[in-house]
Amino acid sequence: MRQAGIYSGMMWGKKPCPHSLPLSRIKKIMKKSGEDVKMISCEAPLVFAKACELFIQQLTVRSYKVSVQANKRTLQKDDIITAVKATDVFDFLMDMVSSASVAGDCMKPTRERTYGFMLKE
Amino acid sequence: MNPCSNNNSGGGGGGGGGGSANNDNGSGAGNQCTVREQDRFMPIANVIRIMRKVLPTHAKISDDAKETIQECVSEYISFITSEANERCQREQRKTITAEDVLWAMSKLGFDDYVEPLSVYLQRYREHEGDHRGSIRGEPIQLKRPAAVASEGGVDHSPAVGVYGLPQLQAAYHFPATEPHHHHHQQQQHQHFGFYGASATGGEMGGYYMGVYGDPETGSSQELVDNFDLYAHYK
Repeated sequence: MRQAGIYSGMMWGKKPCPHSLPLSRIKKIMKKSGEDVKMISCEAPLVFAKACELFIQQLTVRSYKVSVQANKRTLQKDDIITAVKATDVFDFLMDMVSSASVAGDCMKPTRERTYGFMLKE
Repeated sequence: MNPCSNNNSGGGGGGGGGGSANNDNGSGAGNQCTVREQDRFMPIANVIRIMRKVLPTHAKISDDAKETIQECVSEYISFITSEANERCQREQRKTITAEDVLWAMSKLGFDDYVEPLSVYLQRYREHEGDHRGSIRGEPIQLKRPAAVASEGGVDHSPAVGVYGLPQLQAAYHFPATEPHHHHHQQQQHQHFGFYGASATGGEMGGYYMGVYGDPETGSSQELVDNFDLYAHYK
């Protein structure tokens, strides 16, 4: 399933590009970001879908550069942590990547920080 | 917000594959919450696909790296949304708009994203406007319409007021100034698409060979630092 034609297809006025990331999922995450998030315009998840692509790619590029400098071909979590530490705009990720949590724990990252010492016992 | 609610709505809006295998890391045991992991993160297949666009073909990605990126994306969305939401509350608005999101990104240090996202959004609106216009049989106007009274001021979006259709969303506008706006209009056909516009693997190879460091030319720290969001515009 190639995506190369999607954006250029849109450029020439063909049907709108299917987004790489599901808008409904983005909307769910937006709603969960705070108790008081009320309404979200339909364009906000759209902007996020593209922004998340840029974000993923920026983080990936920086992380893989760390891998390359260590003469590795495999991008590993430690490379991501190094890249996050080295990039100012990624400061908000510091706590999350540094904790020992793994995907699957349903607690929010902030709660993991607070209760992490208990979970590890 | 009830973190223990079990959301059963289908998550795949807009072409992404929802509900792919996210639960295979075995650490869910003992949780009292039943919120599905699929609801908290982007589908991992989509995330991997986006990562691969900027990685050399021979690169491998460890499983924990994939999951970490997944978590980072959700954290990013929450981070930006919180800031955007605060702005809405300060201005006593109930709806988070695309403009709020872009404002928050700029404030939180992602101002590099704002311009390409603005172009993307503008293009999307024009496309949607064309589509709507053709259905209704009305002429398509590409010129900027007269200013429409809106929440924040003059609305630069051609989608507003072109067909005289009432807008369902809160009015939004970009902080872009007029010359900036026209600049994008003129160039919209020349550069669109960020990484998907690459047609061949060879082209991508050429792109990130420079990013990760060409052994012959030495370090490319500058390229990474200035992470080129307009790579395919050149």
